[in-house]
Amino acid sequence: MSILRFVLARFGAIIPVLIGVTLVVFLSLQLVPGDIALTLLGRFANAEQLETLRRHLGLDQPLLVQYADWFMRLVQGDLGDSLAQKIPVALILIPKVANSLILMAGSLILVIAFGFGLSVLAAANFRGPADRVIVFVSLILASLPVFWLGLVLLYVFGVKWKLFPISGMYDMIDPGGLGQLLHHIVIPAVTTAASSIAIVTRVTRSRLIDVLHQPYILACTARGLSRRRVVLRHGVRNSLATFANIGGLQIGYLFGGVIFSEIIFNWPGIGMQLYESILQRDAPMIQGCVLAVAVVFVLGNLISDVIVHALDTTRR
Amino acid sequence: MSKKLFVAPRSPMNTLRTGAIAVLAAGTLTLAALGAGSGSSALAAESTIVVAVESDFGRMDPHASGTWNTFKVLRHIFEGFVEEDLTKGGSAVPEVVPALAESWEISDDRKTYTFHLRQGVKFHDGTPWNADAAKFNLDRMTNESFEFFQPISKGMMGWVWQDLNSYEVVDEYTFRINLKQPNSEFIRRLTAGGSGSPRMMSPAAVKQYGNDGIEQHPLGTGPFKFVERVVGEKLVIAKNEDYWNEARKPKVDRIILRGIPEVATRELALISGEVDFIGTPSPDSIEHLKEQGMKIVTAPSPTMYVLWVNLKDPVLGNVKVRQAICMAIDRDNMAKYQRKGFAQPAYGILNFGGPGYDPAFRDCEYNPEAAKKLLAEAGYPDGFSTRMDWTFGAGSDVNTKGDAEWLQRDFEKIGIKASIEMFDNNTYWDMMTAGIREGTGFMSVSWGESTFAWLDQVLASTAQPPSCCNSGYYNNPNVDALLSAARAAGSEEEMTAKLREVQKIIADDMSFIAYYTADSVYATRPEIEGFVLAPQHWIDLTGVSKKP
Repeated sequence: MSILRFVLARFGAIIPVLIGVTLVVFLSLQLVPGDIALTLLGRFANAEQLETLRRHLGLDQPLLVQYADWFMRLVQGDLGDSLAQKIPVALILIPKVANSLILMAGSLILVIAFGFGLSVLAAANFRGPADRVIVFVSLILASLPVFWLGLVLLYVFGVKWKLFPISGMYDMIDPGGLGQLLHHIVIPAVTTAASSIAIVTRVTRSRLIDVLHQPYILACTARGLSRRRVVLRHGVRNSLATFANIGGLQIGYLFGGVIFSEIIFNWPGIGMQLYESILQRDAPMIQGCVLAVAVVFVLGNLISDVIVHALDTTRR
Repeated sequence: MSKKLFVAPRSPMNTLRTGAIAVLAAGTLTLAALGAGSGSSALAAESTIVVAVESDFGRMDPHASGTWNTFKVLRHIFEGFVEEDLTKGGSAVPEVVPALAESWEISDDRKTYTFHLRQGVKFHDGTPWNADAAKFNLDRMTNESFEFFQPISKGMMGWVWQDLNSYEVVDEYTFRINLKQPNSEFIRRLTAGGSGSPRMMSPAAVKQYGNDGIEQHPLGTGPFKFVERVVGEKLVIAKNEDYWNEARKPKVDRIILRGIPEVATRELALISGEVDFIGTPSPDSIEHLKEQGMKIVTAPSPTMYVLWVNLKDPVLGNVKVRQAICMAIDRDNMAKYQRKGFAQPAYGILNFGGPGYDPAFRDCEYNPEAAKKLLAEAGYPDGFSTRMDWTFGAGSDVNTKGDAEWLQRDFEKIGIKASIEMFDNNTYWDMMTAGIREGTGFMSVSWGESTFAWLDQVLASTAQPPSCCNSGYYNNPNVDALLSAARAAGSEEEMTAKLREVQKIIADDMSFIAYYTADSVYATRPEIEGFVLAPQHWIDLTGVSKKP
């Protein structure tokens, strides 16, 4: 199957998934207990004022009608107004998604670089000291809770050594510039990437160890190829599909992970917004955030599928 | 020999390893260098201070904005006829001072208020402040047929305008408000904030941007002008050079306000110098912050933590049991240890910083032995089991779960076994509105205002479920009558007397049990000067400055 046909086929398959997502997103908020009108009007509102507002918001309509309304507006790009801000959800959401993608991209680069580097280093030195250290470190990385790791890194690198800033994406007083962004992204990206690095390292390492024990590797070595050439050229190439597969899975995982690190680092992304919106019980905003996360997750998996497909020559 | 064949020659792998380390080292150094660069440019900025509060802000429309947090900003952008003076600090109830009204007269029947408006004041967009602007704003808040009526406002500020009859423009700088019946707190309620605020917006701006557009163009007359808002990131306000009140002209050019919900991050950002000023540090961190040279600013707030008792509960329906509960709470040690000294014991339903507050009042004294005896008298010598529905609270509530656990221990000492169930803040308020559920003995939230309007919302029989927030089903016609009488009182003394009668009845019925008043706590960088805290849910930033 050509790449193009593969992409189109996968694209067709995600549409029902996305429709399903809208249904779940819509319903999940209906199932959550609570009264949006009360949250909006505050403690001094009386029953009649609450009723008026519920009518005004359409909350008294049957669920199906509410969903149909919501869906029709959604496909036109209208996610409604944020209840807490009275500003269109899309207007708030788009920069947040972009900010989260930036953090996710930073983390992904770390995951790919370190996941790849460490797994090759470990597999090439199977059962050697480097391998043991990497296995041990990856075990620790995989088990550290994000909020703990984040705060420790902040304390050590931000407060003690003053190497990196504590919060946000840019300097508050004098914002702007790629330099500032790169400087701000390091600790959040490391924190977000930590457990993914561990996962990618462990899985790719196992695969590479398998590959390095194949007869053809022995044959290569027997032919006098340098160890470096054997590992990088003949070993790694055959573990790339596994690497792409597990790395691609991290796209969605990282996007989920940024939600936690964003709160710790006050990174103005979708996770932060979701958190604030839940506190404010801002239904349209929550729906928008969850929807955005779902869409990125689905698209991320699509991209990784395509890459795996492209790398895996046996499937074409 | 044959084994040797399979062992990697050392040198290439070494190269690979050294290469990786070199790349890592180079990367780290580059980033550290980048950091050094941007750090110094931040220091060079002129008088800007960065303030981090507990959560992001809500709506910028003062007539529809419903959070205490947001009002911390809005009260600097918008002003009303009158204002609470928060520049003095201390623990006295903030004095009501003139703002956009220079003076006012109250008619003999206390139903007509004539405001003489301040002349020469302009909104931030240049629109003049006058009686027409006042009428525009009152229309927006109260007149449903007005083109720019704000529908949220009516529900939110019902308690401000509850006695409103009519209003009129007398001349360019005279505005008159007529009440249906006297309201002893009317002027104080005009200073309201946090749940809608009767503050004045530029009529021209509302007309230009519309009711929703105004959220991004909040234009008032206050000491600070709105500059920029990035939802979830920052809110920037700048000094209003033309501000009418010399005494409250800002000392800094710009204030950047951020919501940092994670308290540990807020503290680290303060220590590192990224922010100058934070709200509600964790009580456990205060010592550490002080060691780092930070200043801790604290003052009692009107926020009081109160137990709502489920009066429908078969056991708690007995007043002796409720008295025993009151006597079981070791408030002094709770304030000292559980709240690390950042709280004061509270007794009775009149809150600190509110009308009628009497520091000497006691509805009970701590005495677990006597409490046990009372329980035995009530027919529960071996105590009983109940449940406490509790909330983690909002951003400025600190470790409320610890409160519940403290109370649990105190209750256990007199034989009452109480389980705890925790809920998020929003769900919790819904539960308050629905009324305390069967099997639950207590709920608790923090409340208290500089007006007594909140008591109408908590004690009055009309506020029983499904209305909020007389959640324990308290029904006493005498209290209802006294609250009305306090509102209609002809003098402050009379109002105070009525409120104290209410407090006495609540103590006799023991239907609500206060346990402590929380302090507001802020921490600032050592360079920050002139910040004072008054007993109010919000702060004044006009006197704050930063040493270079």
